[in-house]
Amino acid sequence: MGSIIAVISGKGGVGKTTTTANVGLGIAINGKRCVVVDFDIGQRNLDMILGLENRVVFDIVQVMDGEASVKQALIKSKFNENLFFLAASQTKDKSVLDSQKIKTLVEDLKNEFDYVILDAPAGIESGYEHTIEFADSAIIVVNPEVSSIRDADRAIGILDSKSQKVKDGKEVVKYLIINRIDPKMVQSGEMLTSEDILDILSIPLIGKVPEDRGIIDASNQGKPIIMDKNSPAGQAYKRISIRICGEMVPMEDIESVQAGFIDKIKGIFK
Amino acid sequence: MFSFFKKKNSASKAKDRLTIAIMSDRENNVYPFMDEMKAELMEVVKKYIGVKTIDIKKETIDGIEALSIEVELDK
Repeated sequence: MGSIIAVISGKGGVGKTTTTANVGLGIAINGKRCVVVDFDIGQRNLDMILGLENRVVFDIVQVMDGEASVKQALIKSKFNENLFFLAASQTKDKSVLDSQKIKTLVEDLKNEFDYVILDAPAGIESGYEHTIEFADSAIIVVNPEVSSIRDADRAIGILDSKSQKVKDGKEVVKYLIINRIDPKMVQSGEMLTSEDILDILSIPLIGKVPEDRGIIDASNQGKPIIMDKNSPAGQAYKRISIRICGEMVPMEDIESVQAGFIDKIKGIFK
Repeated sequence: MFSFFKKKNSASKAKDRLTIAIMSDRENNVYPFMDEMKAELMEVVKKYIGVKTIDIKKETIDGIEALSIEVELDK
């Protein structure tokens, strides 16, 4: 029986879909069977990040409505045979989502896969609530920036009151990813440190991802950055994926490694 | 000259502002189901007595979390 992980953020544009694609692929590379599901009905994007936009025949709404089987709708990744993808519907809107149908779908997927990763829509509306409803755990993606952190806290609040697991008296496991960290800005005191963010949100950290120009290039190509062995963000996602699979990987101090000579000199005078 | 070495400190400002904003967010919107619960309570109380409004607040008194429910009756 697999585990359902919802990837959430509250605010849009912080890297939810990029995280879903890379963590999903990372888990697959780690030898586990994984499916990534785009729950952003009406704003399908995960297909582009995975380079699978031309292969989508059936989407999640058609599966839930019985117009296609799960097997027909699942698309195998180009990069790893353990990874599958289920597309969001692009033509319908989120009002088509229905708790009972979602439950049936995710239960089916849980039987087939070790990890079922759901890419939530931005915001905290019904589409978001449906994504977290049956989640066993959640990856919360934030940027070191005030609006992202505040919105994430709201999203966590809803997760803690509306998910089925919480209603059953259990806890939804939470993993925080701090994405797009600029080490130089952290060192110069212009960007919140990960300790600051952990203090504020008080949920456990599963990884830090540095700002990486390669992310745009990766999405241009439809090839997740984790495939690039020289990319700092790709390597960060690789470590996160291994941690999600339950293995220990030491937390990398990406906030200070990139300190240049000048920064170190400046540091002496602080 | 020393301003060159001076540490910019907007991150600590961000932390302070966020801490306060999130604290007040958590107090005001702890339960997203508040409106739903209010409507259901209204239905129940209405079976027995006329109700004008129901107000639900989350309070913390001596470290104990409580819901205070105020029912204003219809005359």
